[in-house]
This record gives sequence, structure tokens and C-alpha cells, in this order.
Amino acid sequence: MFINWKLREINLKIVYYGPSLSGKTSSLEYIHSRTHPDRRGELISLKTREDRTLYFDYMQFQMGEISGLKPRFNIYTVPGQVYYRGTRKLVLKGVDGIVFVADSQINRLDENLEAIKDLNEDLKELGFEPKDIPFVLQCNKRDLPEIVPVHTLKEHLGLNGIPTFESVAVDGVGVLDGLKSIVNNVVTNARGKINPDPA
Amino acid sequence: MNQGLHVPEELLNQIDYILTHLAEKAHTDSIVLADISGQVISINGIMDEGTPDVVAALAAGDVAAMAELSKRIGESDPHGSFFHEGESKSIYLHNIAGSFILIVIYRAETPIGLVRLFAKRAVEQLMPITEEFEKTVGPPSSYMPDGFSKGITQELDDTFPED
Repeated sequence: MFINWKLREINLKIVYYGPSLSGKTSSLEYIHSRTHPDRRGELISLKTREDRTLYFDYMQFQMGEISGLKPRFNIYTVPGQVYYRGTRKLVLKGVDGIVFVADSQINRLDENLEAIKDLNEDLKELGFEPKDIPFVLQCNKRDLPEIVPVHTLKEHLGLNGIPTFESVAVDGVGVLDGLKSIVNNVVTNARGKINPDPA
Repeated sequence: MNQGLHVPEELLNQIDYILTHLAEKAHTDSIVLADISGQVISINGIMDEGTPDVVAALAAGDVAAMAELSKRIGESDPHGSFFHEGESKSIYLHNIAGSFILIVIYRAETPIGLVRLFAKRAVEQLMPITEEFEKTVGPPSSYMPDGFSKGITQELDDTFPED
């Protein structure tokens, strides 16, 4: 979170995290397509030749002024492949909220679990207490045939009690619900963090 | 616990002064000061709406990659500077103490040495200021403008209109 008291702007960072091919980039692409054109920035994707995320995907959207402050949200995805862990850690710097995009397929359970472990370790190394960060679970690919029940997935990942949304990111189903939830959680969390204008 | 940055106007004015001086002396096109996570702190020069944010986000990735590369070749201080040389415009990036990034965009005809000289001076001046605003991160308080949370719900509907 960065507050510019001169411009009365509050900048918040949300990261879409999850194993490879779970639907993080598809989610961001859908969000970008649905954001009011006057309120969104360009969608930046740094991809490999195989169309896989290399560094991150990035977009920003801003809202109208609320109580004298202009909220601006910077949304990032991370590359899911195991060997890009350093990049994921970089993107998590300064994070205000996380949407974990889980792949609901039965054969991806272990990858989901591995990603959650990496996330928790990275957050701790960056000085965060993972349980203090606003968090939303987006169970993606709910349209596929061999998927895990949501409650099983949550239990397996140790995410009981976390706001959860079922999604089909390629069609946009459930994506905005997850985003709106994390935005609200981030703002609620920020209430306890913002100091009065120190100027 | 991460509490983010809360930069007061007074420090932002000092930063603006330093960036303006750098722009005049080094004949730069535009300058962005960002934090290491890619958030824009200050801008000098004219850029299209949204461009500074993208520049800052990409520069943060670039600086992190360069810091890792430096470590791999045995550099003890990975917080240096580097250039991207373009045909019409070039970019100079300076990692300030691992916490901030000075991004200078300048025309290709501007001598690199000039940019480097004045950018280094600017970094020396920015260093104590950026240290100052690290100190402005205080313990959590309950301050938030009235109605902010409620306002977010309406703004979300306006930002993501139904078809």
C-alpha cells in the first residue's frame, strides 16, 4: 500500500497466485475486458514464446474519489512454473491482498498444495504474517469433469474459513466475484493501517 | 507486518524539486521515482495516463532480475544502475538502496555520461529523503475517511458495469 497525500491517492496491490496453468492470466484478461475503459490501464503480459507467463501480467484500474481519496488498484499475476519462484517472490513485495487461483482438477491437487506452501514461505521471507493478509480462494475450472469438491479442496489446502469462489476463468464465470471480494477485504484491512496525513 | 508507505506532502515536494533539477541538468524526457514493489511515488515530465505505472511495474521486475544477475556473477552490491539503449529513447535505472528505483527516460542524442552524472547526484540527494519516508510508516491506527468502505461497493459497480 502506498498513500500519496499530495495527490490524495491510495495505491493497493493485489496478486493472483497459484500453480501453473490454473487460470491466473485468464482471470486477469477477463477482468481487464470487463473494466470500464475510462478506468483501466493497459494490460501488460510478459510471456515466453510458448505463451506462458514469464515475469508477470499487470494491469491497473482506478476508481472515483471516495471520501477524498482516489483508490488505484495494481493487479499482478505470477508465473506458476516451479522454476520461477524468484519472480513470484518479487511480485509479492508490497502485496495488499492475494487471490489464490486453484486448479480444481483431481490430478492437480499436489501442485495446488505445493503452490500454497511456496506462497506461505515467500510471504514469511518478505516479512509478512500470511494469516494477516487479505486472501480469497478462487476454485477454477469448475466446468471440467474430474474435479475435487470445493470443501475437499479447501481442506486439502488448509484454507477453511477463507472466502471462496467457484470459477470458469476462460468464460469469466465467478472471476469478478472473487475480485470484488478481495477489493473489499483489502479496503477493510487497510482501515486499520492508514495513519492520518503526517504532513 | 507490511504497512506500506505513507509519504507526506513535504517529502514529496522535496523529491519533486530534486527530479526537476535532474530533468533540467540532464535534459531528460521524463523521470519516475518508484518503490521497489513497482508503485509510482513521483513523476517528472509528461507521460500518457497510466504509462508511469506500467513503467514502474516493469522497472521493478527489471531491477530485481538485474540484482539476481549481479549476485550470480559475484557482485557484492547488487544495487547499482544500468541502461537500456534505444534508437530514439533510452532508459537509465538506478536501484536506490534496494528500496526505490529512479527511472530516467532520455533522448538518444543526450550523452549517457551527462545522465549518469546528474542521476547519481540526484540519488545522493534522494537517499536521505527516502530514508525519511520509511520512518513515516507508523503503527496501525484506526483512521480512515468516513464512508470509504461503503463507497467502494458503489465504485466497484461503476468500474465493472453489467452488460
